[in-house]
Amino acid sequence: MSEGVPVVLRGAPDHTATFLAELSQEFASSLDISDTLKHAIDRFMVYLDAEAASIFLLENDGSALTCRECAGPVDIRGLRLAPAAGIVGQTVAHNVAKIVRDVSRDASFAATVDADTGFATRSILCVPLAVRGRCLGALELLNKRGGDGLFDTNDLQLATIVAAAAALAIHNAHMAGALVEQERVRKELELARHIQESLLPARAGSRHAVHGVNLPAREMSGDFYDFMPLADGRIYFALADVSGKGMNAALLMAKTTSLLRCLAKHAGGASALLRQVNNELCEKATLGMFVTLVAGYLDPRSGRIELANAGHQPALLRRADGSYMEFGAQAPPLGVLADLEFPAIEIALAGGVLYLYTDGISESVMGAAHELGVSGFKDLIEASHAVAADARLGALLGAWRAAGYDAHDDVTLLLVEIPPHQDNASPCLLALRFGAAPAALKRVRDQVQQSARLLGLPTTLVDDVVMAINEACMNVIEHAYQGDSAGEIELAIHNNENEIEVVLTDFAPPIDIEAIRARDLDELRPGGLGTHFMATLMDSCVYSHLVGSPGNVLRMTKRLPVATRRPGSVQIEINKDA
Amino acid sequence: MSYTVLQDSGYDIVCLTGDIDLSCSPLARRTLLASLSRGHHTLVDLSGVSYIDSSGVASLVEGFQSARKHALRFGLIGVSAAAMSVLALARLDQVFPIHADLAARLTADG
Repeated sequence: MSEGVPVVLRGAPDHTATFLAELSQEFASSLDISDTLKHAIDRFMVYLDAEAASIFLLENDGSALTCRECAGPVDIRGLRLAPAAGIVGQTVAHNVAKIVRDVSRDASFAATVDADTGFATRSILCVPLAVRGRCLGALELLNKRGGDGLFDTNDLQLATIVAAAAALAIHNAHMAGALVEQERVRKELELARHIQESLLPARAGSRHAVHGVNLPAREMSGDFYDFMPLADGRIYFALADVSGKGMNAALLMAKTTSLLRCLAKHAGGASALLRQVNNELCEKATLGMFVTLVAGYLDPRSGRIELANAGHQPALLRRADGSYMEFGAQAPPLGVLADLEFPAIEIALAGGVLYLYTDGISESVMGAAHELGVSGFKDLIEASHAVAADARLGALLGAWRAAGYDAHDDVTLLLVEIPPHQDNASPCLLALRFGAAPAALKRVRDQVQQSARLLGLPTTLVDDVVMAINEACMNVIEHAYQGDSAGEIELAIHNNENEIEVVLTDFAPPIDIEAIRARDLDELRPGGLGTHFMATLMDSCVYSHLVGSPGNVLRMTKRLPVATRRPGSVQIEINKDA
Repeated sequence: MSYTVLQDSGYDIVCLTGDIDLSCSPLARRTLLASLSRGHHTLVDLSGVSYIDSSGVASLVEGFQSARKHALRFGLIGVSAAAMSVLALARLDQVFPIHADLAARLTADG
């Protein structure tokens, strides 16, 4: 550019100096760059006795030169030129000032603009608007009125000074704008992070069974965990990792955790919950975004966990004897394909602890190469095992950091453990353990009937529940134990807030859950009615396998009519050795 | 469960009483099939049935099928409310010939 051109001002130097001083002051004190530029070129056009003046600025992406301000007979604000088109384009592209005395003889003159505007350009003075060698645009003056009608080098030098001041003002305005924008984004992120933090459950005390921790890698996390006690005494819990990072992931996280929380109360089981959430997510799927998740229900009374894993890292069960079991994904992540089934497994905690984690911890590295891995994570669990459950994850992460590990991703952990001396506060209607023999059925029916009647439940409802339990026991006797009367059956009936929940457990070899189907009633044959009865009499029947030892669990629920809900907290336990 | 079998007006009337569940449905089944295998038209009196489960219902279905196979008359009489609700659940109330008592059945037989 023309930085090297010595500035020798022609004519009355005082006049010129006053003009430049005023213009510089206006630029320096500019609050609105657009107003200031407009005012400057108006004055400059008059000062140089030109017919028109304009300021073109490069778009941020360099895709075009756009006229931002102009003075003269034709308003060309918003006019877009290709980056290297015309005299302006050449000036910007080469960062060099230009005087064209006769446009008709200059090949780079873009006559189309005149054709469009009706303005007749004869001569041009064009100087780049540059800051520290970077060209932002150009200042252009058209058609000198006085003298020979041509711009001279004095005009050029004056324009160069004006352009330098204008460029600096434009640059400052951009910087200020960017700072304001940065500050706005920072504030929004902070607000979003607060909202996201509020989506995580409050820290649980030592009497709680579920504890979680989340360390976001950035302001926003794509991980989350959640847990909440349900009215029926069970505890819902979940831990998930949303694909991607940053705001996208955080928004999907917020959506998923809300869906889960809402549906977890009524889904009944982990399998149904994941199926419903998956279908909801798939309905409005964002391309390429998905959620890996482990979710379950803990029944603190029995110490049993019903768990489903959708494409997530295996859940780790640290058994009371210090050995580990892993429960890997049995279905793809959520949000990929609708109408998928998410099989659930039944885990007996039996004094053990269930750990859920995201790959932020297992894939964390020490130095450049050494990855923690699942085995390293187990070491951390062992190292912190003696710490009370509510402080253990904090201790575990302390040991992790102390060992020099660093996460590239969000780190989220959750543990499930029955707290010591857990009070059995939820109303248990009946708990029975009996031999798997037909002769036991009458006693079981009678006891269910008696205890249900004590709570004033409607006779028809009691009859339905009794029949469903009888049919379920028959299935266990005939199919699971195959007539082996040495086997045992455990029956627990919970009187939940708005439903009766029956949990029937056997210790026979695992049954083929897929093969359990109610038969077609139009087909007249003696067998296969029981499953149909159960499905008809109850609102839900969910089968799962015991994990850790052979056995099957059937969980059935029956909604209570509104009038008989909350029948009180009568707690009876009748003859465990029936 | 207890049962009696009496013969009246050309029918074996098998009277089942009490709870019919897996512990006794095999006995109910054998009793029904015994009458039918002797070539007797058979009615099952369920008026004294307090409970019947799917294995008990299955015994009745077997009786019904065996009677059809041997071209014998078969039916239920005096079905208690407890038994009727279970038959309805299995939609068998539309399959079995059901009458209030022997007299009603005989009238229907013509």
